[in-house]
Amino acid sequence: MTEETQRQGERPVSPLRRRLLGYAAATALAGLLGLAGQNQIGSAQAAEEIVFGGSIPLTGVFAFAGEGVHAGIQDWVQIVNEGGGIEGRMLRYEPEDTAYKVDASVAAFKRITSQFQPNLYYGDSTAFSKTINPELERNGRMIMAGASFATELNDPDLFPLQFMAGPDYTEMFGILLRHVADTQPGARVAFVYSDTEFGRDPIEPGRERAEALGLEVVETIVTPPGSVDVSTEVLKLRRARPDYAIFHGYVQAPIPEFISQARQMGMETRFMGTFWSMDHTVVMGMGEVADGFMGVMPYRYYYDEAADAPMLERIREMRPEYQSTAYMQGFLTAMLMTEAVERTLAAGQDLTGSNLKAALNSIEDFDTGGIIGVPISLPGNSIPVGRIYQADTAAQKMVPVSDWIRLDQTGG
Amino acid sequence: MRIGTAKESYAADESLFDTAVQWRWLLVFFALLLIFPFIATPYWLFMACLVAINVASATGLNILTGYTGLVSLGQAAFMGVGAYTVAWLEINLGTPVLVNLVAGGLMAGAAGMLVGVPSLRVKGLYLAIATIAASVIFHFIFANWTSVTGGVSGLTMPPGTIFGFTLDEPRDLYWLIVPITVLMVIGAANLFRTRIGRAFIAIRDRDISAEVLGIRLLRFKLLSFALSSFYAGVAGGLWAYFFRVVTPESFPLLMSIFFLAAIIVGGMGSILGAILGAAFMTMVPEVLKMVVNWLSPWLPDAVALLSPVRVMVFGALIVGFLLFEPQGLAEMWRRLRRQFHLWPFKT
Repeated sequence: MTEETQRQGERPVSPLRRRLLGYAAATALAGLLGLAGQNQIGSAQAAEEIVFGGSIPLTGVFAFAGEGVHAGIQDWVQIVNEGGGIEGRMLRYEPEDTAYKVDASVAAFKRITSQFQPNLYYGDSTAFSKTINPELERNGRMIMAGASFATELNDPDLFPLQFMAGPDYTEMFGILLRHVADTQPGARVAFVYSDTEFGRDPIEPGRERAEALGLEVVETIVTPPGSVDVSTEVLKLRRARPDYAIFHGYVQAPIPEFISQARQMGMETRFMGTFWSMDHTVVMGMGEVADGFMGVMPYRYYYDEAADAPMLERIREMRPEYQSTAYMQGFLTAMLMTEAVERTLAAGQDLTGSNLKAALNSIEDFDTGGIIGVPISLPGNSIPVGRIYQADTAAQKMVPVSDWIRLDQTGG
Repeated sequence: MRIGTAKESYAADESLFDTAVQWRWLLVFFALLLIFPFIATPYWLFMACLVAINVASATGLNILTGYTGLVSLGQAAFMGVGAYTVAWLEINLGTPVLVNLVAGGLMAGAAGMLVGVPSLRVKGLYLAIATIAASVIFHFIFANWTSVTGGVSGLTMPPGTIFGFTLDEPRDLYWLIVPITVLMVIGAANLFRTRIGRAFIAIRDRDISAEVLGIRLLRFKLLSFALSSFYAGVAGGLWAYFFRVVTPESFPLLMSIFFLAAIIVGGMGSILGAILGAAFMTMVPEVLKMVVNWLSPWLPDAVALLSPVRVMVFGALIVGFLLFEPQGLAEMWRRLRRQFHLWPFKT
């Protein structure tokens, strides 16, 4: 049979069919690769590995913080693993981007807990922390911390397996107000906050705290988050003539506009902020108006060269460029979590959520290597410690203007 | 258009599917839905529930925007009304899950009718702006009616129970969410075999002509808003049972845009389009995340490096669909079917 007759005998394969077969083959291959990949990831967790999962906002509105947190956790995990792990067990960090959306955060949690058995987890928002809480208790294998400092989460009865690596928002207000009361007893204070869950969080308890400290809350102003035109609000502030105005619930806008207009009106009010508006780049990004802007910060800044901060030196060696305060938060969160793991393993206990949390709560006068300037304890869900920093725009630095302030159990 | 499917009766003309083969495929699909919870991991069950909720809401929006031609950016707010209603009833009255869901749907439907009133005077972009304004009002109510909505902290609700079964995991919730979504989709598909559905289509195609034909515009436009919002309300109620925390920030304007994008990508005015669009918009970001994860062994810190790329790819895919297939995924699906059906001839 000639080659030609052989070809004639075959059923012709149309280009369409060939294309469809190609698509089908490619899809099948992709599927197989996908399954293989998933299995590979799932089975790649060595029995002895301790998994640190994370729903991290690497994109979206909170990416500026998520990137820092991610780098901070990565670096601490690297430090631990380079030191031989925890009792010989290596840490494995498994993050996933959430774009700061609750459904994506929960999906990331489900995927990571489906493929691994994490003992440590980082969540990206208050809403996620609240949503995942029942699942966390049901799972029973892990403890969780996150980007949220919401007062609501600082309740060990309601959130027994969660904590925050710093003071909650009410405690931040407490630290600021303590500083105000120490600096200018009987001062007049105003609160300016965004109309969000985040913004409203510390306002009512902050008012009570101010009264307890003998301060007068002369005005509370609420604005849309990120609003630009604040002239009406600034007029309200001018009428109230506070000595201090505390911003909360913002990252940057409308703080610079507020300060700028207040300065133009000749007001001598001193302006303050809380954690998320206190990063170096955020404050310096406000420009000249930032000069003198103060706020509470539970961690030392990246460039702080204090003698008792060897961990900052180590961080600078690992990353020569500036790292944000969100980085410090991620770094310290990972440090505290691994400390809990170490204590649990040293006590010969299983790595369960309740054992890990008990170990975490046993932390007393713990040296963070200078990330926080005083030894810390974690009896509940928060670390009520912070320091007041002030922007020095000439030096392009945040400089401390108070000693470390530690609140007691009552927030006082 | 397919050949060989000539209609010989009005019943055939009104039927949901052209051929018996399609019914058989539908049965296969239902069978897959039935066995899915027994073979899927918690992650895939979570995603299935999320897709189902989004399908329910997108189908509702498709009734309003795809079939009646009224653009709305208030779908998330209507979901919020349903979610808050369900959460409030579950927390304060402990009424049965199905009653709560129907109540959530009805409450959202009533809200939708109210928002739909301007639709008699304005349409297109103007109506879209009116629905955005309504969303802002609802958001304000969610955040400030503290005694009912819990204010900015929102409501944290207990899990629902049906016949003594606690619905606190996706594995259990699947049996609530997926059947309800299936029923809602079947309802929507059948709606357009009725006078009401055809009136919606007539209004979309030319409202003045529809009025000349005897269709009362106010009545049918409000009905369309009510039905669409009812779907959103039930979807919001399912969302509330699924996440169990309802806050004013749970239903942002971006979510409404998500649903509008879903029906555009899927194919407006097509039941299949809403399903495919919602599935596409929910699953593609997850699939892209998996691709990023697969690259992790070869690319250190792929998650951080490629996450922004992933977002851009997702955006590019949507733009690509708008450019190359304006009639959406549903049309692609139909073309694929035609190719199989007519092969070896070209379509």
